[in-house]
Amino acid sequence: MRTTVRLLTGSALAVAAAGLVCAPAHAGDAGGLEILPSSVVPGGQVTVTTAACGEDGAAAGDASAVGAGPFTLAPSTHGGDTTGGFRVPPSAQPGTYEIVATCAQSGRRVTGDLVVSLTSQRQPVHPRGSVKTGVGGALGPDPVQTAGGVAALAVAAAGGTWLLHRRARGDGM
Amino acid sequence: MRNRGLGNTAIAGVTVMALCSGAWLLHSGNETHAPPQPSAAQARSAQGDGAGRDAAPALPPSPPDRIRIPSIRVDAPLMGLALTRTGSLDVPPAAKKNLAGWYEAGTTPGEKGTAIVAGHVDNAEGPAVFYDLGALGKGSAIEVDRRDGSVAVFTVDAVEVYDAKGFPDEKVYGAAARPELRVITCGGGYSRATGYRGNVVVFAHLTGSR
Repeated sequence: MRTTVRLLTGSALAVAAAGLVCAPAHAGDAGGLEILPSSVVPGGQVTVTTAACGEDGAAAGDASAVGAGPFTLAPSTHGGDTTGGFRVPPSAQPGTYEIVATCAQSGRRVTGDLVVSLTSQRQPVHPRGSVKTGVGGALGPDPVQTAGGVAALAVAAAGGTWLLHRRARGDGM
Repeated sequence: MRNRGLGNTAIAGVTVMALCSGAWLLHSGNETHAPPQPSAAQARSAQGDGAGRDAAPALPPSPPDRIRIPSIRVDAPLMGLALTRTGSLDVPPAAKKNLAGWYEAGTTPGEKGTAIVAGHVDNAEGPAVFYDLGALGKGSAIEVDRRDGSVAVFTVDAVEVYDAKGFPDEKVYGAAARPELRVITCGGGYSRATGYRGNVVVFAHLTGSR
């Protein structure tokens, strides 16, 4: 029991520390192991992804902390990530567990935290309000067309001047 | 003398053509190109959107990598998005016009629940990734490439436009009992002072995978 408690407090501290250093933990951060969903019910399926093993990198995963044992991470079909997954045992107790992956080539070890909770669905915070996804740039004058127009008018002006010049000289008009 | 006459005719021709095309370019370049907005026919029907109709079973969670909407020629990578300090959904950097994003702390597309994707309708240079979103028809397909190698295929139920004032948070972001997708961009009229008045929101549900 003591080890479990130490595991839990250790992970909680790690989460707190990570929260302080890198508040928005982004997908594919080179240093870490991304676990989705980060909070899962016993028996749930978990996907694990990391960018730490490079292009076409494979890795060996270890989810024995939560009782799921070893699993494999293979190169993703999209992008340069390495991904794999496992099922949390239905008998898993609520808590925070450290999931580990070791890159096959570099031997680099990356970790991430998995939260097992008994509440049936994680309740993500929903966004609120509208989204600022435009500035109206499609509505103004098109700079390329405007530049093209100015250039064409310059050609016309040059041609006209030349013709008038010849006419003034009485050349063949 | 004949050569010179031909030369003059050619110069005159080029001059007239340049004058016409220059005038046309300047005129059409100054026209406004407002993004398409959804019509009443694209709105949700009164009986709901046929919840459960040909809905596919949920996929296990997997982060998305790419979104494709063939009918409006969208094919864009997806980045993870967080919330802003005010609780609204953040947006991808405006400078990258063919980049969309998904709400990373929420549901992954294909999983049970409401997955959220957002992208710009335009940036300072002109149209961006979701410029034509308002023209998307009911029944159109939206494909999301997922990191586990699968492709989640969604079918559009409705395209709505909402004012930023009184934005229907629950309708747009709220939980769903089946795998659903929202695709959001700016819309609802534009004024130079306040920008776009609201958002175009596409409602879709999972109908297949491969």
